[in-house]
Amino acid sequence: MQLTLNVNGQNHSVTVSDGSMPLLWVLRDLIGLTGTKYGCGIEVCGACTVIIDGQREHSCVFDVTSAVGKKIITIEGLSANRSHPVQQAWIAHQVPQCGYCQPGMIMACAAAMMAGHHGPEILPEVQHICVCGTYQRIRDAVSNL
Amino acid sequence: MTPQSPQAPAQKMEIGRRGFLATAAGGLSLGFFMPPANRVMQAASPIYEQLNAYVRVGTDGSIALAFGGAEMGQGAMSGLAQILAEELMVDWSQISVQQALVDPVVSYITGGSSAVSNGYAPLRLAGATVRELLIAAAMVLQRDSKRANYSAASAVVTYTNPTTHAIATWTYGSLAVLAASQPVPANIPLTDPSKFRLIGQPVQRVDIPSKTDGSAIYGIDVRIPGMVFASVVHCPTIGGTLASTPVKPPGAIAVVPCTASDSRGVVAAGSVNAVAVVATDTWTARNLVKGLSLKWNLPPSSANIDSAQILALAQQLVTTGTPIVAEPNNPTPPAAVIEAQVASAMAGAKKTVDATYTLPYLAHSTMEVMNCSVNITFTNGTASSCEVWAPSQAAAWVAGTASAITGVNPNLVTVHTTFLGGGLGRKIEQDYISQAVQVAMAVKKPVKLTWFREEDIAHDQYRPFALVHATGGLDASGNIVAWFYRNVSPSILLQRGWINPGDLDSSGPDGAVGLGYALGTHVVEWVPLPAGIPVGFWRSVGNSINAFVVESMIDELALAAGIDPFTFRYNALTDPRARAVLTAADALSSWRHSLPKGHAWGVAISQSFGTWVCEVMDVSQLAKGSLQVNRVACVVDCGMAINPDSVQAQMQGGIAHGLNAALWGQMTFTAGKANQSNFSNYRVMRIGEMPQITVQLVTSSGTPSGIGEPAVPPCAPALANAYAKLTGTRVRSLPFFPGAVMGGL
Repeated sequence: MQLTLNVNGQNHSVTVSDGSMPLLWVLRDLIGLTGTKYGCGIEVCGACTVIIDGQREHSCVFDVTSAVGKKIITIEGLSANRSHPVQQAWIAHQVPQCGYCQPGMIMACAAAMMAGHHGPEILPEVQHICVCGTYQRIRDAVSNL
Repeated sequence: MTPQSPQAPAQKMEIGRRGFLATAAGGLSLGFFMPPANRVMQAASPIYEQLNAYVRVGTDGSIALAFGGAEMGQGAMSGLAQILAEELMVDWSQISVQQALVDPVVSYITGGSSAVSNGYAPLRLAGATVRELLIAAAMVLQRDSKRANYSAASAVVTYTNPTTHAIATWTYGSLAVLAASQPVPANIPLTDPSKFRLIGQPVQRVDIPSKTDGSAIYGIDVRIPGMVFASVVHCPTIGGTLASTPVKPPGAIAVVPCTASDSRGVVAAGSVNAVAVVATDTWTARNLVKGLSLKWNLPPSSANIDSAQILALAQQLVTTGTPIVAEPNNPTPPAAVIEAQVASAMAGAKKTVDATYTLPYLAHSTMEVMNCSVNITFTNGTASSCEVWAPSQAAAWVAGTASAITGVNPNLVTVHTTFLGGGLGRKIEQDYISQAVQVAMAVKKPVKLTWFREEDIAHDQYRPFALVHATGGLDASGNIVAWFYRNVSPSILLQRGWINPGDLDSSGPDGAVGLGYALGTHVVEWVPLPAGIPVGFWRSVGNSINAFVVESMIDELALAAGIDPFTFRYNALTDPRARAVLTAADALSSWRHSLPKGHAWGVAISQSFGTWVCEVMDVSQLAKGSLQVNRVACVVDCGMAINPDSVQAQMQGGIAHGLNAALWGQMTFTAGKANQSNFSNYRVMRIGEMPQITVQLVTSSGTPSGIGEPAVPPCAPALANAYAKLTGTRVRSLPFFPGAVMGGL
């Protein structure tokens, strides 16, 4: 089945064998946008978070067909030159360690800001898993957003 | 100051100093030797005393360190560049780091918290050598060989005429070619540490920007033109082997039975313990491999993969097993002799504490699952070269694994070490590497093989289970006069054939020997537990087990003596570094004297990888079955800190990791199968559960020791000690909350 997805402002034509294929794997394997990460596949860890029509979504369980006609933003499309305030805060506070979960964290924070949340109000929106334990720095980074 | 794509090592040329080589290939390139991790890794490594790291000064002015290790979040890539830049006299913004391609003979293992501590001396010498070669080149141009007339800063050599004070300058790039032909000076001056510009400064890590925009490439992100995607399932029963090759399902490119790379417990090297399906994307491959109807042969020994049986066996062996004495060790007395001496001292004690502790198997659960990408070139149907991309802590072993399977000469195997989405000791293993190479051989196409989380948790090489029996005796003044310690646990090294039966596996008693305490007459013993569950290196290895027991026992003894836990430790600690760390922690945790009602504090201190860490925790319990860790005061003495911000990050992260393990971490097995499979039933903390951690650094020497692991060991005992104070209940079996589950987002 051939579908067109709008990702980071660009249309991508993809062929999937099954419309229930999660958006995560379409982004990663078919389009080649690998910044969105696989962590658990069951909507527990948050590493796969993207923004779809302004909402944070877990792409590991988001059917690709449901994403057709919507505006998808991935970590690669959040800003040019890491200029988004969340990215700037992450660098200023030296948040990432291994960094694998951070695209999901950053996208969830960006979505919360789009929804009008600021500072510590953002934290309930980033209940993701970070095995490195960067949470304290995330709290610090978010505090001034 | 950014990570760059790899380049092949330059042509090597001996320049007469062991391990130091230089060439002129677009500038100056100098190779040097960085020692591998620890004694275990050294024993398991082939020849290693050759160069395995490079610094290059290009004619274009570029200055790069080729980093041969693994960056898995611990900041090694940055810390090493920081040391080099210091002696090379370049600014932090002027140096870049490249991931080096592996040299299969000499690349080193990243483990044992060793990357920066082992790299410190060689990197300083390398940086200083390059600096002196550049100055030597300037001397040739200036025709003045008096060293005192030259200085170097910000990648520029400056000559000052001693009489006219006229100045001449050369950029490093302009000197690079000439520098490469200069003899290495006999005496390389190192920078006086009091003049360090970069070492000791919290510079920004080189890898972090790329980790905020999706451009950091982990193993799982590797793309190869024309690649196909594989997913794998293992026999759910550990030790089982495939009975018959399944039929290729519609939609699959191939079905590939995979053999185990190494023997681990009941898993035999070479046995077909997994099946991979290859498809056009990872998700399709996963669905197809899950849908296969697979038949497995189960050996009788698989039935012994059972938590209840293993506990029962440990309980039996702690009294009937043959102990191996780990301490005293100079010389090592016969067990019966030292045990009798300890028993005699114990009989004379005023009070004794006798307790048995158990700790569970733990999974690594790195955020990035096991994965590997392989591209093999075939000539007339035979593999002629092989390229591997892997998130690996052991690139040299990856080359060996690929060479053995493909038949390609190791010199024609190229290994690209990617960023690691966590390593934690899991990614030194070869199981996932071997599978990817096997699949690439079978399909003759570039392939990426990815484990799904369920395979990652259920087919790990786990932190060993342990049962420890400890007895401590006190005199009338509360001094420890006798100490008996017997650890029963599976041997990591014996399982992989690195030691012989009857040998001491140092990872068993690590964290129970060489303690900073005066223990009176004492013995530390280890009894190998012959359980068939695959075991491996888990962040801090034996220290995470033994520090829990030792520091819980110290608290139990303090309680028995009626002495405050800090005071008791002051009285018993003889190690001066430990005492200084305890003193700093005492002050840093002054809040413990005015805790709100319903809170309690606990302290623990331990040394691992040369680093002392003391943690003081403030805990409260809002409801049964949960525990809130409110704050942690953490004092660390890692000798000296290259980047204090990285040290702080590793302390924060190590405490989170240690709390995950202590509160919830537990792998259990029933009739051969793992009972945990994903983060839903292998729980880790979320942001609201993270305590506020204050880290203080104590400097004790002029050389750095490890930082990646030492925050983990004192975590569980500090928690247990606080919990005992809060509730009156002593937790001697981890985790605190077995069976904890985790909801979705």
